[in-house]
Amino acid sequence: MRGSGAHLDMKNGKGDRMSDVIATLENVSYKYPRSQDFVLSNISLDICRGEFLGVIGPTGAGKTTFCLTLNGIVPQFYGGRFFGSIKVAGMDTLDHQISAMAGHVGEVFEDPETQLISTSVENEIAFALENLMIPREEILARIPQVLSAVRLEGTEKKHPAELSGGQKQRLAIAAALAVQPDILVLDEPTSQLDPVGSQEVFATVCELNRGLGMTIVMASHAAEEMAEYANRLILLSKGELISMGSADEIYSQIELLKENDLRPPQVASTFYSLSQKKVYLSKTPVRMSEGIEVLKEVRQKCEIHSQKSFDSTVSYSGSSVLSVKDLKHVYPDGTEALHGISMEIKEGEYVLIIGQNGAGKSTLVKHFLNLLKPTQGKVEVGGVSTEKLSVSQLARRIGYVAQNPDSQIFNATVQDEVSFALKNLGYEAEEVERRTNEALDSMGLMEMREKHPLSLPKGDRARVVIAAILAMEPEIIIFDEPTTGQDYRGARYILEISRKLHNMGKTVIVITHHLYLMPEYAERVLVMGKGTLLLDTSIRQAYHDIDLLRSTYLTPPQAVLLAHALSELEGQKLPAILTPEELASCFTCNGDGGSHGNA
Amino acid sequence: MGMLKFQTVERDSFFTRLDFRPKLLMMTIITIVAFVWESPLLEFALAAVILVTALLVGVKFSYVRLVISVMVPFYILLLLTHGFFNIDQVKALTDKSALTPIFTFPENWWLIGGGMMSWEGFLYGLNVIFKTLTLTLIIPLGIFTTDVDTMIIGMVRAHIPYKIAFIFSATLRFFPLLFQEINTIIEAQRLRGLAMEKMGPIKRGRVYAKVAVPLILGAMVKSQHLEVVLQSKAFSGTPERTYLHESVLKLPDYLLMAFLLLFFIIAVVLYFTFRVGAFGGPI
Repeated sequence: MRGSGAHLDMKNGKGDRMSDVIATLENVSYKYPRSQDFVLSNISLDICRGEFLGVIGPTGAGKTTFCLTLNGIVPQFYGGRFFGSIKVAGMDTLDHQISAMAGHVGEVFEDPETQLISTSVENEIAFALENLMIPREEILARIPQVLSAVRLEGTEKKHPAELSGGQKQRLAIAAALAVQPDILVLDEPTSQLDPVGSQEVFATVCELNRGLGMTIVMASHAAEEMAEYANRLILLSKGELISMGSADEIYSQIELLKENDLRPPQVASTFYSLSQKKVYLSKTPVRMSEGIEVLKEVRQKCEIHSQKSFDSTVSYSGSSVLSVKDLKHVYPDGTEALHGISMEIKEGEYVLIIGQNGAGKSTLVKHFLNLLKPTQGKVEVGGVSTEKLSVSQLARRIGYVAQNPDSQIFNATVQDEVSFALKNLGYEAEEVERRTNEALDSMGLMEMREKHPLSLPKGDRARVVIAAILAMEPEIIIFDEPTTGQDYRGARYILEISRKLHNMGKTVIVITHHLYLMPEYAERVLVMGKGTLLLDTSIRQAYHDIDLLRSTYLTPPQAVLLAHALSELEGQKLPAILTPEELASCFTCNGDGGSHGNA
Repeated sequence: MGMLKFQTVERDSFFTRLDFRPKLLMMTIITIVAFVWESPLLEFALAAVILVTALLVGVKFSYVRLVISVMVPFYILLLLTHGFFNIDQVKALTDKSALTPIFTFPENWWLIGGGMMSWEGFLYGLNVIFKTLTLTLIIPLGIFTTDVDTMIIGMVRAHIPYKIAFIFSATLRFFPLLFQEINTIIEAQRLRGLAMEKMGPIKRGRVYAKVAVPLILGAMVKSQHLEVVLQSKAFSGTPERTYLHESVLKLPDYLLMAFLLLFFIIAVVLYFTFRVGAFGGPI
């Protein structure tokens, strides 16, 4: 398949600019050294000046490799076998050194921590310019320009570590922009960020693209944002370019996305669900604004069940396993992280804790584990104050799964990893063996017991860590940001494990920013903001308290927003809908009325 | 919660305004002189001057206290070994056939009976202690009072290869991340039932050894990623590049360098002509 963005010219009103091809890929195939399979396979593509090209695909599809081919890092740095040719700004990436390509292609990577290499903001921006032998006076002139473009004015002298996650990524963008590249390539720039950081990055990139005409190539799993900002999308799967088109064309092919473990924007899912009920739509919208317009169309054709009810009660009569009373925490540097939090979690509950970065979620959870001591107030686990329990004693009752499984793996085999805690806790050899086998079995790791944990794929490594925690037979399991950095399939996989544990009777607590993933799992939601507990209620009520969520920089899933829009259109309150399927189930239609759109 | 950064002094002073080159010269000359001198009195004077200067320019007293408290066991060991066992070297340096005893253990004491601590050995031990103290304090005096950018450009202007200067800067950037990672790993181990608070030093050592596996693997992944990032920023390690920051020597820099060179020449001349600074010399 070969594609060009030129056909989008008229549609986007960017005629001349977008018909000018800035990069061309001709039959590109690539295989890493010692790899059996091609990571990229026969890709041909033109990238037009001024376009925003989105790159989507599941983990392992070749998105990162695709991004790295554009400045010649693949294959020049990695080696391997490369076929075909890539020209950027007329320069063949095989004939020019990476340092020469760096003047034409700016790269922004996923991890905000490891891509900033300097000790001040201005040095970070200057670094590539210094390497490219740009005169000092010119560097001094460009620094304020690019900082202004990413809205980081006044931070010149700051250490990058002083910036928030979103600011760090904006700094990485500024540093890439400073070389005045022909293309800005961003590889999953928001996957490690909270919603605020993610919004900051997308707003900046959009401004650069639409305001300054910068050509953008961005790989991302953020379906809603990609639908909003990208002019064109390419879908990669196992290294092949399997589909290409506008965001409307790609995101309305729900079956294709599902086949490739990708998540469509919830607006598209909602109207796809409606189309399954024989509701004929002029198009399947993929953006919120269009979704509201099509909703008006659907109202004309269908009947709405405003009385339909969904279970929204949270009633647990079990005993209290965790309780917090007037908890206050002040860090040694004087930061007041928690202000008088009080709450209780009962046995067998599935609780979701949400809030922006700095809201106090992790600080709260660290008190459960005794990793932090209350400045004031009390924390009790199973009726016993944490003051009387050590971290290792608490570990028997509360299992903690951190975001990065790799920092929780210390042993040479999966079996040793799973039995690590049991040996620390002084169990007899027979008991260690029994519990280890049970935990391995429940996580489906028996076959891999002799393998090195770090040789397994990321999803399996997470399972090893969970098995190691399960072996301690804790009553409560906490998942801290388990979906960050995961694709849709990976995130669902971990959440399915959490569901399984919940069904086993465990109390599950999940911290995440990915609200759209949680309706199928969580029952109760604690919304935190600026160190206080803003709301403690059922997931249905919490997700529909839109103003409160926005006050802590959280955006409810699009299905919830569409339900609100529908309520406003109807002039009556609708049930507290959480998912596209629930929203679709509120309509009954006759099946007539025009041609079926893209679904 | 607080941000992890290398320590720098907060106070603006004559020292913080200096270029890094005179400071490099200062560190080199003081290190050589401290190594050459063996006079406990002069070593003490040198250590005291460096200590007072470090405190005056803003190196925190808590840092100095930490350094000294870490070194105390080592200092005691130095005094004991030199006082009791450094006999031949001290005799040769002082041209004495017998050393002056401070005290002697009774002959009938097991293992240490008959052992004598000599005054000359004790003084030699003090010389080594002040020597190490000078060497330990000259680093913060030079490094903590210099901004990293000034340090890098100063190193480059002092003809230290840019690659080395860059490695130095990258280390300052990534060490805090490494420490953060160590804390995360140890925290994860504690959450898997490891009661560090009940462990002795040997068991703790084993725990720290286990940290090495994920840490090294993580560092390897990070270093490869860093290489990709550097390549994408046109880094090739060659000295052919421009610099944002300038390094210009001003009058105070020249004055300090002149003073240091003069001090060095006088110290060398006095040492070799009048044995000033030698062990058993006039001072």
